[in-house]
Amino acid sequence: MNRLLQHARCALGLVIFILVLELCARIDDFLTYGAPFWGTYNDQILYMRDNIGKWGRPGARYKEWQLNSLGYRGPELRPGGVRIVCLGASETFGLYETPGEEYPRELERKLNEEAGRELFQVVNAAYAGETIGTATHRLRKIVEQVHPSYAVIYPSVATYVSLPPTTEATAAGDPGGTEPKQPENHFEWRTGGRLRSLLKEALPDVVQTRLREWQTKELERQYAVMDRISEENVIRFQGDLTKLVRALRDQGVEPVLVTHATAFAKNSADWDRNLLLTWRKFYPMLKENGFIDMEKRMNDAIRNVAAGKHVLLIDAANEIPPGRMYFADFSHFTSAGAEVMARCLADGLRPLINSQLREEAFER
Amino acid sequence: MNSQELLYIIVIPICWLLFSRLRNFRSRQVLLLLMSYFLYSSWGLGFLGILVLGSLLNYWLGLCLRRKPSPARLWLGIVANITMLIALKYLPAIMPLLRRKSIGTFANIASPVGISFWTLQALSYLFDLYRGEDLEPSLLEFLLYMAFWPTVLSGPICRLSTLLSQFRKTSKPLTDDVQCGLDRISIGLLMTALGQILASGVHPGQGLDAIFDEFPSGLTGPDVWCVVIGYGFELFLNFAGYSHIVIGAARLFAIHLDENFDRPYFATSPSEFWTRWHMSLSFWIRDYLFLPIAMLRPGKWWRSFSLVVSMVVFGFWHKASLLFFVWGLYHGLLLVLHRQWQELRRRMNWRFSRVIIEPASWSITFGAICLGWVFFRVGTFSQALTMLRAAVSLVTYSGHVLPRSLYLVVVTVVVAYFGTVSAGLLRRGHGRVLAIPQELRFALYAAAVYVGVLHTAQTQAFIYSKF
Repeated sequence: MNRLLQHARCALGLVIFILVLELCARIDDFLTYGAPFWGTYNDQILYMRDNIGKWGRPGARYKEWQLNSLGYRGPELRPGGVRIVCLGASETFGLYETPGEEYPRELERKLNEEAGRELFQVVNAAYAGETIGTATHRLRKIVEQVHPSYAVIYPSVATYVSLPPTTEATAAGDPGGTEPKQPENHFEWRTGGRLRSLLKEALPDVVQTRLREWQTKELERQYAVMDRISEENVIRFQGDLTKLVRALRDQGVEPVLVTHATAFAKNSADWDRNLLLTWRKFYPMLKENGFIDMEKRMNDAIRNVAAGKHVLLIDAANEIPPGRMYFADFSHFTSAGAEVMARCLADGLRPLINSQLREEAFER
Repeated sequence: MNSQELLYIIVIPICWLLFSRLRNFRSRQVLLLLMSYFLYSSWGLGFLGILVLGSLLNYWLGLCLRRKPSPARLWLGIVANITMLIALKYLPAIMPLLRRKSIGTFANIASPVGISFWTLQALSYLFDLYRGEDLEPSLLEFLLYMAFWPTVLSGPICRLSTLLSQFRKTSKPLTDDVQCGLDRISIGLLMTALGQILASGVHPGQGLDAIFDEFPSGLTGPDVWCVVIGYGFELFLNFAGYSHIVIGAARLFAIHLDENFDRPYFATSPSEFWTRWHMSLSFWIRDYLFLPIAMLRPGKWWRSFSLVVSMVVFGFWHKASLLFFVWGLYHGLLLVLHRQWQELRRRMNWRFSRVIIEPASWSITFGAICLGWVFFRVGTFSQALTMLRAAVSLVTYSGHVLPRSLYLVVVTVVVAYFGTVSAGLLRRGHGRVLAIPQELRFALYAAAVYVGVLHTAQTQAFIYSKF
């Protein structure tokens, strides 16, 4: 009986231990980020959803990610000046950079430093998981709100591993027609997320790679695995990109295309297998070599659109050195990577912007 | 958290389960040694090789001394250990300064983790044997003494006489050991987390680390005091917290290690401070350096000289740099001054009321110790001089350039420390011990684990690991 009581007390102690850990995590989130104590707290609180997909919730904040009153990441818009809008996905939105050091912010700093005054405003209109289709459909709203002169398009090509809905199909869902959906409120162990990130940090690369291999093998069973993406996907990507370029020009915005940079070197011997497996976890239907092949073909497609539509092309894929110094994972930048990307963009944009400024000065 | 810390978290509970099931002390020693070597090898297999070689060499030197304890054999041991320490710790550090190609290869040698600590343990074993202490460890016991996983990285520096009998115990760890061990680990985690807050600040770039790294211009007197007191507490919370964790971890295996800190900032004289701060090192210096030198010749000046030399070695033990030399010299001079003052008081028969002398002694000691941390932390000698100039220049006391949040954190930590320790002393004085129910204990452990491990994904590096 005594032994049983002792075991029961130990079990109770363990329950108390877990509950207090969770309580600490919630108090910490509340004090540090003003997070709701009881409700759900994850990155989904940054977004609203409609038939098209997600868009930024005005003024929302999740940890260090803060959206402005228009629902874009970054500061409030200032009146006047030359505005550049950045379209893309999580690479543009920024995941790993120190807040304020994601590439659109760095680009704004660089352009203004060169101009010697606060002439340029760079608006980060990207969200994690945004496709070219949704960006095209939201373009009218973005242009109405931002009035940009230029749009930097840095597309996330991996969304074309499996075909996304066509731009027309996306457009069929009217964002104004339905009320935006609120994120669902359900219980979530916040300690779990912290433990996961702690383990990610602490587990040696070899162990992480082995774990990912095992996870990928498990996931492979649910999909028909491809060696490379089909040509149809590349054609669709090129078509969607062309439509976005056309739509931008129709709205009076000059597009600028940027090739997609990744952490992987050209030489396959130098590929970081751990990062490649991390990428594959999101798209288990494509083999690891298929990602490198996809990047090459999609970047060629971007170059084709740029050449065909006479759009300024900035070749970030060739300009940004691969490796972990500039990439925190397969394709997302570190602060140093964002800085290099911004420099690359600033160098590429300079002739275009200078000629426009000269024309405007001449007209005045 | 890094890979090594995760490894410790995984390995310790597994080994504890095995350890508590073993009855034979030899099997326990083998388990502890394998565990120690496994954990140490996570820092580098080469480091493990050096540790094993160093241990074997010292065991052999010990055998020689046991057979015939002669000064020549002791000197051989001292020279061998000091040479190894200099070659692996100090030469790589000073090589870039000397730029001598002939010995330039030393610059590329990585210093084995904890070499300063385990070399002193080896030396204390040789000294004790020479003095005729009855120490007869088996090779297994000596290897374990040198590599014992809680102490090998950053102390406390143990003596074989303390550990040997405990290595030979056959009783299994009691509930009391486990409870006390977990309590100490929790306290240690909370203390290191508090130290981390001082280092990084409540707002980014407003902690002590940022202040020392960026070294803002125009520091005023109050700023310097805020920084040095804050750093004194950061160092204390970091190192004493680490010592709590180490002592607690050893206690889980029913091994009682000597304490390393005993309310150092309550000291009312510099000599008292050194009996309360990093006690395992200061007692080592006292027993194996200061006393042997001081006893070479009679006379007060020789005694004072021995004190200064010992403290300079104390400083150099941390790092071979001018700043640590000055830090050691500063403390040596403080100790000499204190002795002179005591003698003067005795000679003049000055008597002061305790109400006056104790607060005055405490204030002067606390101020002098904190000011000394300037040499311990700053990057260059000119920065140290700038800070000291600001501290003594009364005209700078009219304002401050450091953020208010830093002042707030430092004041809170200082008040909390003195408040908590005083309350504990009062309670103990009244014979009352705080009894914590088991359930509340689990809640405290959880809070400690959260604050010390989960709160910051990247915890602050343990300051003493670099020594």
